[in-house]
Amino acid sequence: MTIRSDEAAAMLADVDSVVAKVKQSRIYRSAALIIILWGVVNLVRDALIALAPAWVGPRWFVIDALGVIGTIAILSRTAVAGARLPLRTLAAFLLFYAFGWIWANLLGGFGPREQMAFWPTLFLFGYALAGLWFGTAFSAIGLGLTALILAGYVWSGAAFPLWLALVAGGGFILCGLWMRRA
Amino acid sequence: MDGPDEVVHQPVRLRVMAALTACDPSDEGLDFTHLKKLTGATDGNLGAHLDHLARAGYVEVSKAFVCRRPRTTVKASAQGRAAFARHVAFLKAIIEGA
Repeated sequence: MTIRSDEAAAMLADVDSVVAKVKQSRIYRSAALIIILWGVVNLVRDALIALAPAWVGPRWFVIDALGVIGTIAILSRTAVAGARLPLRTLAAFLLFYAFGWIWANLLGGFGPREQMAFWPTLFLFGYALAGLWFGTAFSAIGLGLTALILAGYVWSGAAFPLWLALVAGGGFILCGLWMRRA
Repeated sequence: MDGPDEVVHQPVRLRVMAALTACDPSDEGLDFTHLKKLTGATDGNLGAHLDHLARAGYVEVSKAFVCRRPRTTVKASAQGRAAFARHVAFLKAIIEGA
């Protein structure tokens, strides 16, 4: 069997293309679990804020903390055997959180409604950025859900927490399920 | 320089092996539907190529029921990984020698 140089190059390009697709699919599947988890966290938190605001009070922080613990657990479980925890991902998450905390609590002068809109859109901005490196699904989710949250901020009136439960909760869950199939 | 691996050389089987060897050996492998999407092959075509690879000892095929639905999972064997690595090295050598 004789293989010409251009044929060999085409075969190797084919191999590289398949390997890139498998790697992207692994990233999507791992990220989808985290997105679904945060969909559930957002849904529970925002539904409680909408329906039982007096009971929730500062307890929303506990719900978010459970989300962070779950995220670390998923990252540890889905990491390749023997690999260390993705510290860079966690560092990026912490930097986003620190940036958000400074603006939400010190500099921004946000009211409760602005706080509720700010946090999910901040992290969705991170998704939109991640899409530039890891696949367009991240950007689609980041930009699409941000647009829906901003629309709710402007037009949903007193139903904004319920709107957030629907969009940042149900929307995340649906996007995560879509990403698993992508 | 070794010659081409006749089993791996066929385009669909080359894509299958590329996909399977991109997974970590400790992973469970890839399911049939995912492989079909990655290779662009039809059910029957992919099934025939997987049989060919399995007969050569390059892949391990396992079938199970998940939520009452049949699921076929395919994983590259150590022998398959080695054969694929040799074939890729062969292709690279052709380009470098051109």
